Amino acid sequence: MSKTVLICDDAIFMRTMVGDILTQAGFEVVGEAETGVQAVEKYKHLRPDLVTMDIVMPDMGGIDAVREITKHDPQARILMCSAMGQQALVVEAIQAGAKDFVVKPFQPSRVLEAVTRVLAA
Amino acid sequence: MDTARYAALFQAEAREHLAELDTALLALEDEGRRGPDGVSTAAQVATLFRGMHTIKGMAGSMGYEAIERLAHALESRCEPLRSGDEALHADLLALLFEGTDVLRGAIDDVARGVATAPAAIAGILVRLRRPVLETPSAETLALPDTTATSSESARVRPSAPADAVNVRHVDIRLTADCPLKGVRAMLVLAKLAPLGQIRGTHPAQTRWQDEAFDGAFRVTVVSDVTDDMLEQAARSAGDVAKVQVRVPALASQVAERLATTGVPEATRTVRIDARRLDTLLDLVGELVITRDRLLRRIEALDHPDRDVYQAARDAARLVSALQDEVLQSRLLPVGQVFDRFPRLVRDVSRELGKDVAFVMEGREIELDRSLLDAIGDPILHLLRNALDHGIEDVATREAAGKPPRGELVLRAARDRATIVIQVQDDGRGIDRHGVLLRAREHGLVPDDCDGLDDETLLRIIAHPGFSTARRVTSLSGRGVGVDVVNTRVRALGGQLELESIEGVGTVVTLRLPMTLAITRALVVEVAGSTFALPAAHVEEALEYHESLRVHHAARPSVTIHDAVVPLVALGERFGLVRSSTYDASRDAEGRDQHIAVVESGGRRVALLVDALVAQQDIVVKPLDVVRGAAPWFSGATVLGDGSPALIIDVPSIV
Repeated sequence: MSKTVLICDDAIFMRTMVGDILTQAGFEVVGEAETGVQAVEKYKHLRPDLVTMDIVMPDMGGIDAVREITKHDPQARILMCSAMGQQALVVEAIQAGAKDFVVKPFQPSRVLEAVTRVLAA
Repeated sequence: MDTARYAALFQAEAREHLAELDTALLALEDEGRRGPDGVSTAAQVATLFRGMHTIKGMAGSMGYEAIERLAHALESRCEPLRSGDEALHADLLALLFEGTDVLRGAIDDVARGVATAPAAIAGILVRLRRPVLETPSAETLALPDTTATSSESARVRPSAPADAVNVRHVDIRLTADCPLKGVRAMLVLAKLAPLGQIRGTHPAQTRWQDEAFDGAFRVTVVSDVTDDMLEQAARSAGDVAKVQVRVPALASQVAERLATTGVPEATRTVRIDARRLDTLLDLVGELVITRDRLLRRIEALDHPDRDVYQAARDAARLVSALQDEVLQSRLLPVGQVFDRFPRLVRDVSRELGKDVAFVMEGREIELDRSLLDAIGDPILHLLRNALDHGIEDVATREAAGKPPRGELVLRAARDRATIVIQVQDDGRGIDRHGVLLRAREHGLVPDDCDGLDDETLLRIIAHPGFSTARRVTSLSGRGVGVDVVNTRVRALGGQLELESIEGVGTVVTLRLPMTLAITRALVVEVAGSTFALPAAHVEEALEYHESLRVHHAARPSVTIHDAVVPLVALGERFGLVRSSTYDASRDAEGRDQHIAVVESGGRRVALLVDALVAQQDIVVKPLDVVRGAAPWFSGATVLGDGSPALIIDVPSIV
């Protein structure tokens, strides 16, 4: 059975791109979220194997969403999606419970490597 | 790249490392005398290695080739010490001392903007690169047996302390294209953490987010799992190019234990240009003055607006808080200045053929950085004086029944709002009789004077050009030492004190304000001019009345609380008025006169002034005049109303 993924990003462009990369690799995208609040709600509802999380989103940012999700499920596997120059925020996200990160612009191979690591841990 | 900024950083940091190198070399030399102590020896070797390594790295980044090559040669020469392949011996120590000196010279050259001549470093480079001798010289300082990497199974592990046996260094290099290397390194650490106890990282975790972090780091871990498991865990974090697990040499194990016990995680600090701190202080100083001016203006209004008044009070409070913060941010430990002295004391005592134990206390005491910059030379003078004139040679000491080894103590301590720095020796003390004879010759004491107390003694030897030195050496004895020290300490708003017992030793005390720049002062008016009296010296201020005069005294005096206190008319002392009429309690314009009772060094004087203006904070600005041209003043300031005022040097008046 293929692994399920929840993609959280406020840009449709980014959601589409991450979705394509993961779908082509055999993952099943079960949901998308545009805000942190949505991300937390959908996680509770969908219980995906993996979450990709943008850092900057309206209505609760990615880091707070990570905190909420890990509070709810300490085993949650969350991969942060960061832009260059957000090093401090990524550090904060990891401390909040995110398992790994990828940096935009996305290279499919890097995204898949990171996803594999997160799921293997 | 802002080369000038990096060059300044390089100089500052390289000098810190040079001081550390000196300290470590001296400690190693000292152990050679007392017999080695494994823990400390290993830690010193680690310090040497680290200092040289860092200087090399910085010099490489700056393109300082000579420094880089020297530091590299020194580092390489220390490597066998660290790995335990070679024991430290006297010849090697001498070579390292010399190499450090040449390194210092090359760093000085860069600071002066001159190129180091290749010939200047060629000799030492050749000797540093000479292969290690199989048999160390007879004077071996045995280092504890150190250890091997785990891959070299032929070697035996050391009998290290139980909890150190499983210490492993995991050296990791991230892939060159790894983004956010600092965060990746965190993930590596997170993977290693469940396998054991993390003892530390190099560079420190706080440096991982720096731009300079290149993805190469070391995690020191205490763990029972195999090296392979550690390596796999590290690799599982992703973007890891290379992992090497090894058992550290005992030297660095011990150093790490020292570094990780009791020393908290590095405090978050930033380096900033010292000139910025100075500018900040100047600005705060101006702000303080403006605050006072504003408050005075508002208070002088007939119908002050309550809200305006309240807002001004709030602003004033914030300015005070800001001032405190700025002053705090300028405090630095005196160790920064002290650390260069052990080497100097060693060199000077060798040159003089004396055996001296040098002790430093209170290195952690903090002082404003402008004071710190200024006290280095005075302390140097005092140390040299103590070595040259105070401490006797071994034969003389033994003949006097003293321990052959002299003791020289440099001490810093806090005493209420002042910082006390003392230079204490157990030498011969000052020859009071000799000083007295010469003082009579110079007319510094009355002919009938037949004894000198400490205070008079200090006054005499601090007199410009006075010296009792039997000979002039390259170090001191030119009769400028104490004079210069005294002038400098006064200029800093401090005081010099002296205590000397013949045959037993001498203590010279520098008493300094903790912060220099802003001080509380009593502003007074004398003959139409305004002057500031530092509040630290003012005991009380009161209206002058003829009934206070003591009429039968030899010189003008007043009675203050049943004590007779000499009266000094400032106008006359400063040459502003020809003579004061002490018997009139009013000035020329018929206003009441006042007296300010000041104290310094246990002596009290009543200063006759025309008016007491205010008590307020003043910003001290140094007086740029030829030494001796303004003997009564220690500095200048700008008052709340924008007018300038001279700051009275109380010790020179009492």
